[in-house]
Amino acid sequence: MTWIQTLEYRANLYVGLFSIFSGIFIEYLIWKQIFIARGTELIRGFTFNELVAFIFLSMIVGQLKSSWITSIEMIDAIRNGGLNKYLIRPISFYTYHLMLFIGQNSLFYMAYFTLIAAFPFIFPGLAFTTNFQIFGFMSALLLAVYLSYNMYYMMVCVSFWFHEVRALVIAYNVANIILSGQIIPLRLFPEVYLKIIGFTPLPFLVDFPVSIATGQLAPELWTSKFMIGLCWCFFTWAMGKTMYYFGIKQYGGYGA
Amino acid sequence: MSINVKNISKSFTSFKREAGLKGAFQSFINRKYETFHALEDINLNVDSGEIVGILGENGAGKTTLIKLMVGLLYPSEGSIEIDGYIPWERRNQFLKQVSVVMGQKNQLWWDIPASESFLLNQKIYEIPHKEYKKTLDELVQLLNVEDKLNVQVRRLSLGERMKMEIIASLLHKPKFILLDEPTIGLDVISQSKIREFIKFYNQEHNSTFLLTSHYMNDIQALCDRVFVIHKGKGLYDGKFNSLVNKIKPQKKLIFEFTKRPEESVITELQEDFKFNLIKNVVTAQLPDKQLTKLLGSLFKINDPITFSVEELPVEDTMKTFFSNPEKFL
Repeated sequence: MTWIQTLEYRANLYVGLFSIFSGIFIEYLIWKQIFIARGTELIRGFTFNELVAFIFLSMIVGQLKSSWITSIEMIDAIRNGGLNKYLIRPISFYTYHLMLFIGQNSLFYMAYFTLIAAFPFIFPGLAFTTNFQIFGFMSALLLAVYLSYNMYYMMVCVSFWFHEVRALVIAYNVANIILSGQIIPLRLFPEVYLKIIGFTPLPFLVDFPVSIATGQLAPELWTSKFMIGLCWCFFTWAMGKTMYYFGIKQYGGYGA
Repeated sequence: MSINVKNISKSFTSFKREAGLKGAFQSFINRKYETFHALEDINLNVDSGEIVGILGENGAGKTTLIKLMVGLLYPSEGSIEIDGYIPWERRNQFLKQVSVVMGQKNQLWWDIPASESFLLNQKIYEIPHKEYKKTLDELVQLLNVEDKLNVQVRRLSLGERMKMEIIASLLHKPKFILLDEPTIGLDVISQSKIREFIKFYNQEHNSTFLLTSHYMNDIQALCDRVFVIHKGKGLYDGKFNSLVNKIKPQKKLIFEFTKRPEESVITELQEDFKFNLIKNVVTAQLPDKQLTKLLGSLFKINDPITFSVEELPVEDTMKTFFSNPEKFL
C-alpha cells in the first residue's frame, strides 16, 4: 500500500531517490579539502578513500533507518484525532506504522541496494570484501532499522502528554544524524564523547552496520556488539509499549 | 448485541487563555487549567437490532459518548459493556464487530482510491475474499458509487466520500454501528439515500445502530427511540414521538378576514392570545389547544375568506425544545 501511495506522487519519489547524492557530494568536497589542508594521508586511521567509502555507506544506512517522517505523521495523528482511524480497527498502531515505515522505505531500499551492490566496484577492497561481512552488515542493518523505529516511537508517545512534540523529533533527528555517525564517523570524535555515546543506542544506528561492512570492527567483537544492540532493541520496545499503555489513557480524540 | 452503559462520566482537562500576544505569553508562563465535565452519570441500555438516536445541542456530549462506546476514550467513571466486551480494552474480537462513521471526518486513506482502502480493510478484518467481493458489490450497488471506486479519496465530493466511508465501515458486517452525524453537509438526495440505506441494512442484518444527528429528518425517519443529552447529563430516554408530544408542538394558523376587524376587538383578543395581524391576515404559532381556542374566537369576529392550520416541521419543535430542554422534561 505504501508503494501505491508513494507512486501516486512521482516527482516526490524521484527527488527522494536522488537527494542522497547531494549530501555525499558535499562530504566528498569537504573531506578532500581537509586532507589537502592537513597535508596528511591518514586521519585517525582513515585514508581519504576509506573515509569517503565509510561516509557514503553511512549516508545510505542513515537514510534507510530514518523514520522521522513516519513519526511526524504519527504525532499528527495523536494531536489531531487521526489516531481514531487505527483505534477503531483491530490493528496495532505500533505494528501498522512499523510496516508502513518499512514499506515507505522499501522503494528506497531497492534503489540503494543497487548502490551497495556496486560498492566493491566503486571502492574495491574497502567494503564487503567477504560474504561474512555482507551477512553481518544485513543483520546489523535490520537491527538499526528496528532500533531507530523504536526510538522515534518513544518520542511519538510523548505527544500523548505534550501534544506538540515535533520540535523534539526534529531536535533528536539532528542530534541523531551527527551522533550516530551518519555525517562524521564516530571514530573521529574525541574519546570522552565516544565514551558517553557508547552508553546510548546511537552507535548501533549507523556506525555499527557500516563498521562491519568496511571491516573497521573486528569479527570477534560482532557477537558481543549484537547482544548489546538486541538489548537496546528490547529496552526501547518495552519503553515504547509502556509509554503507549499509559499515554493512550490521556488521549482525548480532539479534532475528530 | 446488547449495550449497557452504567454511570458513565468523562471529564477533560484543558486550559483557557486570552486572545492576543499578551494572552499567549501569560499562558506560557502561568497556564491555568480547568476541568470540563463532558458527561455525568449517563445510563443507557440498547438491545440488539435497535436504531437509537442520540440528541443534544452542540457540546452536549454526544460524540464523547460515541467515542467511549467504541473504545476511543477511557471514562473518568462508570462502565460500558457491549456484548460482554469493555470497549477501551480494544480486543480484536470486539473491534471486528463494531464500526463507527464520523460525518466530515475522514477515516479512509486520503491519497489512494477507495478501492485500495477497502482491500486494506479486507486484510485488517480478515474477511474471506468471496465474502468481501459479495459484500462490496452489494454495498457499491446500493449506494451507487461504481464509477468512483478508483478515484483518489481526496478528489471525491463530500457526499461520495461519506458513501465510501459507510461502505468501508460495513465491509466486515459489524453488529454494532455508530454514526456520528453521517448526513452533515450532504445534499437532500444524498441524505435521503443514506437514510434509506441505514434502514435497509438494519432490517437485513438486524444490526444495532446508534446515531447522532442535528437533522430531525434523520431521527424521524430512522429512530423509534431517542436518548437526549443536555450539558453532559441524560435527560430523556424513550420514544421520539412521545418526546415531541411532551414538547407540545406548535401549529401555524393563517386566517384571512374579508375585511380588517376593528382595532379594539383585536387589542382585546391579543390580551389572551399571541398573534400578528397584517392588513386583514392573522398569523399565529401556538400549541394545539390554544390555537383551537383562537380559531374559535376569530370565527366569532367574522367568517374568513380562507384559513389554514398546519403542523410546524419537527425541526422547529426541536428548536423550541433545545432552547430550554429542562422546561419540557
